[in-house]
Amino acid sequence: MPPASAVRARGAAGAVPARGAAGAALARRAFRDARVRTIAFAYLFAIYAYIQPAGYRHAYPTTSDRLGFARSFGANKGLRLFYGEPHDLLSVGGYSAWRVGGTLAIVAAAFGLLAAVRALRTEEDTGRLELVLAGVVGRGTTFGSSMAAIAGGVSILWAAEFAGFVLGGLPVGGSAYLALATASVVPVFVGVGAIASQVAPTRRLALELGGAIVAIALLLRVIADTVSGWGWLRWATPLGWAEEMQPFAGARPLVLLAPLLATVLLLTGAAKIAMRRDIGTGLLPVKDTAEPKLRLLSSPTALALRDERAGLAVWIGGIGLFAFILGVISNGISSADISPSMQRELAKVGAGSIATPAGYLGFVFIFFVLTVSLFACAQMGAARHEEAEKRLETLLALPVGRASWLGGRLAIATGATVVLSFAAGLFTWVGASAAGVSISLAKLLEAGLNCVPVALLFLGVAALTFALAPRAGAGIAYGLVSVTFLWQLVGSLVGAPKWLVELTPFAHVGLVPAQPFRVGDALAMAALGVLACGAALVAFRRRDLVAA
Amino acid sequence: MDSLDLQVAPGEVYGYLGPNGSGKTTTIRLLLGLHRPTSGHAELFGIDAWRDPVAAHRRVAYVAGEPSLWPAMTSTETFEFLARIRGDVDVAYRDLLVERFHLEASKRVRALSKGNRQKVQLVAAFASRAELLILDEPTSGLDPLMEVAFRETVNEAKERGQAVFLSSHILSEVEALCDRVGILREGRLVDQGSLAELRQRGGPVITALTSREPSLEEIFLHHYDGSSDSAPG
Repeated sequence: MPPASAVRARGAAGAVPARGAAGAALARRAFRDARVRTIAFAYLFAIYAYIQPAGYRHAYPTTSDRLGFARSFGANKGLRLFYGEPHDLLSVGGYSAWRVGGTLAIVAAAFGLLAAVRALRTEEDTGRLELVLAGVVGRGTTFGSSMAAIAGGVSILWAAEFAGFVLGGLPVGGSAYLALATASVVPVFVGVGAIASQVAPTRRLALELGGAIVAIALLLRVIADTVSGWGWLRWATPLGWAEEMQPFAGARPLVLLAPLLATVLLLTGAAKIAMRRDIGTGLLPVKDTAEPKLRLLSSPTALALRDERAGLAVWIGGIGLFAFILGVISNGISSADISPSMQRELAKVGAGSIATPAGYLGFVFIFFVLTVSLFACAQMGAARHEEAEKRLETLLALPVGRASWLGGRLAIATGATVVLSFAAGLFTWVGASAAGVSISLAKLLEAGLNCVPVALLFLGVAALTFALAPRAGAGIAYGLVSVTFLWQLVGSLVGAPKWLVELTPFAHVGLVPAQPFRVGDALAMAALGVLACGAALVAFRRRDLVAA
Repeated sequence: MDSLDLQVAPGEVYGYLGPNGSGKTTTIRLLLGLHRPTSGHAELFGIDAWRDPVAAHRRVAYVAGEPSLWPAMTSTETFEFLARIRGDVDVAYRDLLVERFHLEASKRVRALSKGNRQKVQLVAAFASRAELLILDEPTSGLDPLMEVAFRETVNEAKERGQAVFLSSHILSEVEALCDRVGILREGRLVDQGSLAELRQRGGPVITALTSREPSLEEIFLHHYDGSSDSAPG
């Protein structure tokens, strides 16, 4: 602390900007840093909020259609697992609240976590926070301005979702409240991310800790929504609070107090820790020394495998757990009460016989295809990270060829993709068998295999964007995965021409075990992916290295 | 960059001088095939650095100005990794250098200061049997004691017949270590030769009543005082 007189003297001279001005400048800077992520999420929120009411009105125009839908699916545990507990499936609003609220709440949680870790831990990891704090700005101001910037992002997400609903034909008041229910999830996970950023000494560990909390929150919600008698567990998870607000079904705005209270508690705790600890540390100690482990050091590829194996184990664990739950739940699906007309409608979204265990599993495996494709993009993200941090320059100044480096990365990504895909099949089988559903292991491994060609295709896309536009690289690939995934949902619901719908790779997946494996399509997609990887190898040979 | 022909003989130390932004690091990146020349080509040992970097790099060890290593690896693991990729490392000499530079082998790179990370790079490069060592401002971040260790190590490399390309703007270091010097200005080599030749061209410095040979600092500043008349292209 400078002596009080010095402070007064500076204040009187007016040479130093007021504290508020510095805070505002920092908040603007943080908001600008996050703009790409904010826009991407806002886009997703708006599109998703628009297509659900529009699609529902199109698919179920009359009350009797909707009654049939509600009777068949109101109690369907397999769908509750994804979307939560439905409160009113007869109105467009109630349906949208069910379909949109549950899913976007998970996306909102991810946004909150990423935003907080980026604004707090990454700033510190890179040393930028030290630079700021060495100036005339205090810790409270930096923390507060980061939070203000995120609050700006949250209001944009809310506006995007609200606009999507209104354009989709929902009433204004209900839309605002439903969007609020989703947006209320973000601050809670900003709080989680803020605490994780104080506890963990590195960005990576902070994201892993926060990610584990998101996974637990989701797991609690899934149990609450699918196991009878456990509904009270919804109150234990922020994802459940969003459901308990019951938009379009007897709104309960008082529930908002729960996320509000949790946010205040988490952020106060995080701010307290931030004020007390040393810069560059976390509550968890860092181990600065270690016994040398000399395995997997023989090549850059071996080293990449060494770095990625822990992350891969987490992915396998997560996918395996989710697959197991899906397998168990497939037991509760029966076709007794689904009308033929309903089945025709479902066929439009590619879930022809969702009412049988096999049909249900075929339908849900498309989500594994999505997940494994995102994983493939993340692998190229890791490769880009190595370049951005200039470690690739260190490697390529050694006798290491560019093609062998990128080729090794692609080989690891491909191998990991195959492992994840078969893990999805295997653990689904274990779950299904445990619940007494008789589907052969071979069939479910085949279902898992379905993930590989699409993931390879997106790996190729990600590799090509890495080679051609390194700075934007992984972002473009992630964007394409989510656009093409929604493409099919939207296209099939609004009855777009077949050729248009089939532009997306996801339309070319045979929904094993409900449908046969589409060998031709799979081979074509895999071949395209390999071709794109080859082109990436050539293109990468031709460009300069680009640091962060 | 303009056309440049730099020769470093075995057992010779070549000092590559220039201020920040004059193109020293760019030269090195071109030589290593990390950047592609907009026109023309860069060769190392007559090997096109862009077309066949791996063949060129087998004969070169490089120390980057900014050490970019793997934060979670310890020094020992880093040495092991770099050695397995190179394949031509003198392990006994490396152990000696670890001692000389006071490196804690079990410490993770993340926990090392900039100077210590720089030392990890230096030890890995000097322990290799590469014919040419390319060092880009290698002593930034080193304390004076380590600077002494560095000079000792460079002289040992000379004795072994390794050629050393030392990019630097620390004139005293270049003066002490280098057999020949090139001075770079805005991407062009404005002067090159042994220190003695440079001194002759620089002309005597007359101060008050005595005349003496110019220091390297004076020669260098002469090329940057706005009257670059003696530049031989």
